[in-house]
Amino acid sequence: MTQTRSTEPGRWLALESLSPGSAQGCRIESVGVKLPARMLTTRELMSRTRHRTRIQLERLTGIHERHVVDPGENSFTLAAGAARDCLAHSGHRAADIEMVISSSITRSKGEASQSFEPPLSMYVKLAIGTPGAVNFDISNACAGMLTGVFLLQDMIARGEIRCGMVVSGEYISHLSWNAARQVRSLFSRQLASLTLGDAGAAVILERAPEGAAGIDVIGFTTLAEHSRLCLAFPSTVGPGAQMYTKSRTIQKVAIDELAPLVAEAIGEAGIDIADIDYLIPHQTSARAIRKGTEEFARRLGARPKHVVVNLEEYGNTSSTTLFVALHKYLEERRLGKGDRVMLLALASGIEIGMAIFTIDDQVDRYGRTH
Amino acid sequence: MAARIEAAVALTSRGPRKPAARRLADTAAGACLTYAGRQPSDVDMLINTGLYREDNMGEPALAALVQEDIGASPGHLPAGGHGTFSFDLLNGTCGVLNAIQLEAGMLRSGVIGLGAVVASDVDPDGKARRPAMFQPAGGALLLGWDDSADGFTDFGAETFPEYADLFVSGLVWQEERRPGRRPGGRRRPRGRSRMVVDTRPGYHGRLVDCAEESAWRFLHRRGMEPGDIDLLVLAPAGPDFCDPLRIRLGIPGDRVAYVSEELENAYTTGPIAALQAAIRSGRLAEARTTLLLAAGAGITVTMALYRQAQGC
Repeated sequence: MTQTRSTEPGRWLALESLSPGSAQGCRIESVGVKLPARMLTTRELMSRTRHRTRIQLERLTGIHERHVVDPGENSFTLAAGAARDCLAHSGHRAADIEMVISSSITRSKGEASQSFEPPLSMYVKLAIGTPGAVNFDISNACAGMLTGVFLLQDMIARGEIRCGMVVSGEYISHLSWNAARQVRSLFSRQLASLTLGDAGAAVILERAPEGAAGIDVIGFTTLAEHSRLCLAFPSTVGPGAQMYTKSRTIQKVAIDELAPLVAEAIGEAGIDIADIDYLIPHQTSARAIRKGTEEFARRLGARPKHVVVNLEEYGNTSSTTLFVALHKYLEERRLGKGDRVMLLALASGIEIGMAIFTIDDQVDRYGRTH
Repeated sequence: MAARIEAAVALTSRGPRKPAARRLADTAAGACLTYAGRQPSDVDMLINTGLYREDNMGEPALAALVQEDIGASPGHLPAGGHGTFSFDLLNGTCGVLNAIQLEAGMLRSGVIGLGAVVASDVDPDGKARRPAMFQPAGGALLLGWDDSADGFTDFGAETFPEYADLFVSGLVWQEERRPGRRPGGRRRPRGRSRMVVDTRPGYHGRLVDCAEESAWRFLHRRGMEPGDIDLLVLAPAGPDFCDPLRIRLGIPGDRVAYVSEELENAYTTGPIAALQAAIRSGRLAEARTTLLLAAGAGITVTMALYRQAQGC
C-alpha cells in the first residue's frame, strides 16, 4: 500500500492511493440500488407549485422525471432494499459484512421524519441479517456515500476488516414538495430542491484479490470557507426539510477549485485525465455538469472519454447519485473490464471527494436483469 | 507506534447567551488546539460526533462549519498548503470512540498527521416548556501519531438490538393548531418538526448490563482480566453508570476517571469529558492500560484500549 500524507507540501486532499493488484488493495465488489416504483415528471411537479413560476425546470436541468416514494416507503426502506440488492449482486453473504456505514442525509423511519437514535445503520444491518457487524451513521451531505467508501477502504486496506458495506436511503422528495409551496421565480434559493429524487444505494467493499484491479486513488477535502452556500433545516411548511442553495456561487467555486484537486488525484494515480474512461460526477443539472466539464477540460488540457449524466430519469438523488449512476452503467453493460472510472462528489460543506478505480470481474454479475 | 491523545477539552455552556451546539464545539476545539500548542491548519481530519442541536440542521455537516469557525484550511487552495477534511459521525454516546477508531486508522495509514474529534449537544427543542433533555456541553480531542510510543491499540463494538426500543429519538412533524395568518398579515407556520425522545423504563439498567457483558468479552478475547485495567474511562460519565459497572467488573473506584459534577450528564461529549478528567488528574499518564467504554442507544457498546509502556 502506498501511503500519502495530506500534510506534505502541495497536498490539499486527504488522499490514499493503493497500488493496483497489491495484496492490501481494496475494491468495490458490488453495487445495489432500490428505486421507488412511482415516477414524478418535472411537468407534474411544476404544475403543483403554489405560485405561477414560469420556470422551465426541465430545460434548465435536463431532468424529465424522478422516482418518488409511495406511502410506506422511507429512507430506511430504500436503504434496506438497496443493501439487499447489493448482496444479491455480491459473492458475499450477509454474515461476511463486518461493518455497515449508513450515510443518508434523510433518515426517515416510522413516524420520524428524521430518526436520530438508534442510528439507521443498526436497522439496516438487522434488515439484511448481519447483527454482528460494527455500525454507525455518517452525515456529509451529498458526499456521504463516497465519504463512507473513503473510511471503509482505509480499514480494509490496513487489514482491520475484510469486507464492509456503505449504504444510503434518500427519501428527499419532501424538499421538492415544500419548495413547491414557496418557490416564486428562477432566483429562489429553494430552486435546487425541485431537482431532487428518491433512491437507495449500497456498495460492498472488500480486499482486492491479488492481481485484481481496485481503488487506485481516493481523496477528500472540505473547502469550509464556503460552508454556508447550501443549508437545510426542518421545514415549517410541511414534514421534512427545506434547503436553501446559492447554486451559482457553488458552481463557480466548483469550477475554480475542482481542476487543481482532480490534478492532484490523477497525479497521485500516475495517469492523465484522458485516461479516465468514465467520469461520474455528482448529478445536479445537465447544464452545470456540461459547463463544469468544459472548464475542467480547458484547465487540465484534456477530457475524460465519457461523462455520465443520468439526470433525465433520476434527478438529483443526493448522497446516492454516484452509485445509482454506477449501478445503471453496470446493469446496462456500458462498463467493461479494464475501464477506469472516476467518481466525483461535490456537496455542501463544500465537500469535494474523488475516487479512481478500475472495473474488474464485478461487471460479470450485472446485466442479466436488464 | 500508535495514535496518541494530544489533548482533550470538555466544557459546559456559561454566560447569559443561549447555548448553541456549534459554539460549544468551536470553543472546545479552540481550547484544545491551544492546550496542545497546535494551529488550526494542522488538523487534517475533523469529525463531529455531536447529535442534538438547537436548529437540527440537516446539511452541511456541522464539522464543516466548525472547521470554518476555527480557521482550519478554510478554502482557496494555496501553493504548498494542505487541506482539512470534515464530516459528521452519528452514533450517540458511542460516536466519539467510533471517530477515534477512524482517525487512528488514517493516522496509521499516513493519510493524516493530526486528527480532531469534536462533540456537542444542546436541547434540540428549546421552545418546549420542560426541563432540557440534554445538558449543553461540548468537547474536543486531538489525536496525533507517535512512532516511539503506544497509544490506541484495540477497538471493539457490540450492539444489543433487542433493546433498541428502550431509547429512540427523532424529529416528528406536528401541525400548528391555529394555521392561517398572524395579526399584521404574516403567515403562521403550518407546523414544525419536534424532537421526540422516548426513554423507556429499564434503559439505564440495561446499559450497564450490556456494557458489562461486552467488556468481559472484549477483555477475554485479548486474554485480559479486569485486573489488568489500570484506568476506566466511561461514558455515560455519571456515577449512575460508572459505579455499578466498575463494581460488577471488580474494578476499584480509584481506577475510574470520574468527571466533575457539571459534566456528569454530558451526552455525546461524555467520553471526551471522562478523558479530560483522566488527563487532568494525571492518571492517564500513569496508567499502562486504559479501557475506554461508551454505551448508548441501540443498545450499542464501543470499547478501546489505550496502552502506554511507560505507565507506572
